[in-house]
Amino acid sequence: MGYFPGYDHLPHKEWVDSTPPPDNVKDVPEVGATSAVLTSASFALGAHCQKYNDDFMACKSENDDPAHCLQEGARVTRCSIDLMTKLREKCRTELTKHWNCLELNNHELFYCRQEEAPLNQCIFQNFGYKKEIPGAPKDEVPVFEKKSRYFGNARYTF
Amino acid sequence: MTSFVQDVGGEGKYPTIRYQRYLPRKGPSGAVLFAGLLSVIGFGMYHHIQSRKELRELRRERIWSRLHLVPLLQAELDRDIYRREQGMKAREAEIMKDVPGWQPGKSVYHTDRYIRPMVPLVLPEED
Repeated sequence: MGYFPGYDHLPHKEWVDSTPPPDNVKDVPEVGATSAVLTSASFALGAHCQKYNDDFMACKSENDDPAHCLQEGARVTRCSIDLMTKLREKCRTELTKHWNCLELNNHELFYCRQEEAPLNQCIFQNFGYKKEIPGAPKDEVPVFEKKSRYFGNARYTF
Repeated sequence: MTSFVQDVGGEGKYPTIRYQRYLPRKGPSGAVLFAGLLSVIGFGMYHHIQSRKELRELRRERIWSRLHLVPLLQAELDRDIYRREQGMKAREAEIMKDVPGWQPGKSVYHTDRYIRPMVPLVLPEED
């Protein structure tokens, strides 16, 4: 922990609040995945947990209090853990390759198209989720399937 | 009337005066240059516009890859904030237990809306 400007009035060594979790959220597990893994699985997560995610966000827009949407949030977390577990079973090698590539490439998806294609294929075969970007033009090739591209590690730009 | 012959040079005595500029044609014509310029600019602009379109889609992809994660991250954060707020409430109740009529954790604002605490973290005193 470094120096926090503006918090000289709280001269604590360790910035950890050691309050144990209250009883109603005590049993909710954590996803425990790092950002690259989550980025890698994000579109599958969006497809797998869409119902719970929409429910949670609707609840949040209703009331911003953290105590208001604990149940919906727990459902979102459980659904995400469910998908991550299944992904680990089914698409472990593809996912590992892709998120390692993301780690090395500043978490930019367009540097890792070569690794992404097998992952998308695996997810589609095992779960039936096709990667779709909402709002993208319908009549064009999706940006993650383009053969000739301008950005990323493109061998032929033109 | 006497006939006379004017004293001018005969055939071949004086050469005809060349009054036209005679410059060799160098390079392609203006129209060709203009067309070439337009084609180069067109090539560049086409690929520029295509790359901007691709960049737009890449940004859309990046934004959506984050948006799909928002509920998951927000749910975890909410649980943590809830835990901290409960802890702060317990500490406040412990400190203010001698004051009659004190409601620990009561909002200081005259509204039902939830307002995030201005002080993000109130820690217990160090031993």
